[in-house]
Amino acid sequence: MDLWRITIFTVLTAAAATALMAGPGVLLAWVLARRRFRGRLLLETVVSLPLVMPPVATGLILLLLFSPRGPIGSALASVGIDVVFTWRAVVLAMTVMGLPLFVRSVRAGFEQVDRRYEAVASTLGAPPFRVFLTITLPLAFPAILAGAVLGFARALGEFGATIMIAGSIPGATRTLSVAIYTFTDTGRDREAALLLGISAAIAFGALWMSNYMSARAGLRT
Amino acid sequence: MLIWWAAVLFGIAAAPGSTGRPVTVSAAISLSEVLEDAAAAYRQRGGGPVRFNFAGSNALARQIANGAPVDLFISADHAQMAFVEKAGQVLEGSLRVVASNQLAVVTSGDRVAEVREAFPRAGPAIRRLAVGDPAAVPAGVYAKSYLERQGLWNAYAARLIPTGNVRSALAAVENGSVDAAIVYVTDVQRARNVRVVFTVARDQAPIITYPAAVLLRSPNRAAAGRFLDFLQSSDGQRIFARHGFLPPPAR
Repeated sequence: MDLWRITIFTVLTAAAATALMAGPGVLLAWVLARRRFRGRLLLETVVSLPLVMPPVATGLILLLLFSPRGPIGSALASVGIDVVFTWRAVVLAMTVMGLPLFVRSVRAGFEQVDRRYEAVASTLGAPPFRVFLTITLPLAFPAILAGAVLGFARALGEFGATIMIAGSIPGATRTLSVAIYTFTDTGRDREAALLLGISAAIAFGALWMSNYMSARAGLRT
Repeated sequence: MLIWWAAVLFGIAAAPGSTGRPVTVSAAISLSEVLEDAAAAYRQRGGGPVRFNFAGSNALARQIANGAPVDLFISADHAQMAFVEKAGQVLEGSLRVVASNQLAVVTSGDRVAEVREAFPRAGPAIRRLAVGDPAAVPAGVYAKSYLERQGLWNAYAARLIPTGNVRSALAAVENGSVDAAIVYVTDVQRARNVRVVFTVARDQAPIITYPAAVLLRSPNRAAAGRFLDFLQSSDGQRIFARHGFLPPPAR
């Protein structure tokens, strides 16, 4: 059934986006939590931008960068990779929009980790990266998980940037929220209402989980 | 203090009618430039102010059906006007057709020859074709009908990029995201680096019409009707012709 395909497509792309934001997200969060350097405030602001800017504005920036005439888009096109109007654009939009939320949560998690444990591990001879991997990361894990769920939920609901760079192509880029918009515009009201129910249920579940995990970890995002 | 506020509000509510209050027109996005010009000319001739809400006709029809306070609706096809009629929003007897148009296959400036060669046989050079959403956007509905008549629908169906309105399809060509698009021939005038590959002959596509009607809920019916009269007048029709539109088809 068409609606299930749309739902599954949305969940899969959101999952891919969440996976994609994990690495850079953890790195950025750690740098912002632990390092003082010139330009830190700038980095912090830039990372938070997609959170505060209108999503369509972020989408327009992505379009200018990734369209076949744009700097990144033309480079990718020359090796045969299309971004705009493909599922890659969907994942890109979701990742960019979800990343700030993820970073916020993980950063709070890192800031909460008791530095003494890290210090103890260091004095016992563990190199910094091992300390990170075996002490810091596991202790911050609940926050990372909460951040991932939040980023996932944000990715699921992403619309403005998605419609700018991915459009609403049936079977290829039509996510849940984009489909609701398109169906409402083209008279498919019943299907729009059903998708509304599905998206509300998923969002509810994801937020519930995220808040539960945050509470367990003693954090508030 | 209270009396003062009441007086202010009363004054605002009793504000002057036709010359003060603008006529609000929801119109198909392909009419953007021609209607702005027409409104300016109308103003010069002593007509009142007119303001516009341009979007895909299907989106506008839904807005009107859901209560948008609009005086005049100009659609790019009869289906969306019929939708508004069925919702009981059209003022009886006010329906007229103001213009007609033609479809055109367009592409970016440097690919005209390539697309001209590839389009009629659905060649691989055309990986993506942008059209208005054929489900409801008039330009898309017309485009689908045209492709079906040419026996090209099956070939292009999987390559379609459906957009929310015809100008989005045009924009997709402008930023290079698609190889070609089917838009109205009038849309190309203002576009950067977009060229017409060929205009679709009138016997190869459905007849494109722009029906217009005053809306039942309008508090401004007389003024709306006068603007509509202007659009149908020889002055108004000359403005349409200048922008590349065709006159309404003879009954």
